[in-house]
Amino acid sequence: MVMDMGRPRAFDTDRAIGTAAALFATHGYEGTSVDDLVTATGIHRGSLYKVFGSKRSLHLTALRNHLDHEIRPTAAAIADLTDPEQALTTAIASYDNGPAAGLLLLAAAERAPHDPEVAALVAEGIAALEDALRPSHGDAAPRLASTVLGARLRLRAARPIPSQEY
Amino acid sequence: MALISVDRDRDLMTVEFQGLDKLWTLKSRLEIPLAHVRGATHDPGMAREPKGVRVGGTHVPGVITAGRFRRDGERLFWDVKNPDKAVVIELADAGTYDRLVVEVDDPRATVALVEQSIARG
Repeated sequence: MVMDMGRPRAFDTDRAIGTAAALFATHGYEGTSVDDLVTATGIHRGSLYKVFGSKRSLHLTALRNHLDHEIRPTAAAIADLTDPEQALTTAIASYDNGPAAGLLLLAAAERAPHDPEVAALVAEGIAALEDALRPSHGDAAPRLASTVLGARLRLRAARPIPSQEY
Repeated sequence: MALISVDRDRDLMTVEFQGLDKLWTLKSRLEIPLAHVRGATHDPGMAREPKGVRVGGTHVPGVITAGRFRRDGERLFWDVKNPDKAVVIELADAGTYDRLVVEVDDPRATVALVEQSIARG
């Protein structure tokens, strides 16, 4: 019986990458198990391995996707702003955001020190931020990029304001 | 238990089966060209997957899965007693197996070794 051979892929690869990116951004790389990925994407384990090769490969693909579809468009929007204050505020509000918000920061903290390929992607994302701030801040762009990264990090620990305060 | 090492001179990944595992798997070692290795993942949940049809080796459910299995048209090689230490190695379609599932002493170190050896440029 060969009915399973050459069966077309019954799932949307892009959607699976997006789901994986959101999981990695929420639970970190180590905190996301293959069980988590199988459950959240609804894809059979065998297919997941067949398409992506490994969990690390899927993480790299998710990070690449986050750079291309979130970081770069945001950077392009920031680069269009010439007012320094507005560019900085926008960057702090929107950099490394989206459906997998924080994926870049998390990858920088967790994986980049041990994984040169992750480190290269993180560096690419930070360089995009620096370039985006150059039209508004010139030579101060690298320093301001550090300010944005620091602000994004602090925002992760900011407590939501209670809605019921007397 | 298996010992996975990488021979960079010969561009090979070798999987050596320790002690009685040679008997259970009917193999003493596997040699896979690094070019056919797509990745390695620590995956304790893999052991709960249906094993498919045993082609050669030993299968005592809940105790040991060892040897050649076939499932959904894919050829798998297993050597797992303790699922917590199972590593899944995905292979390119050119070889004898599509996927290896082997128990190793240090899954984190094994995954790092294999993944570094095949680092995508």
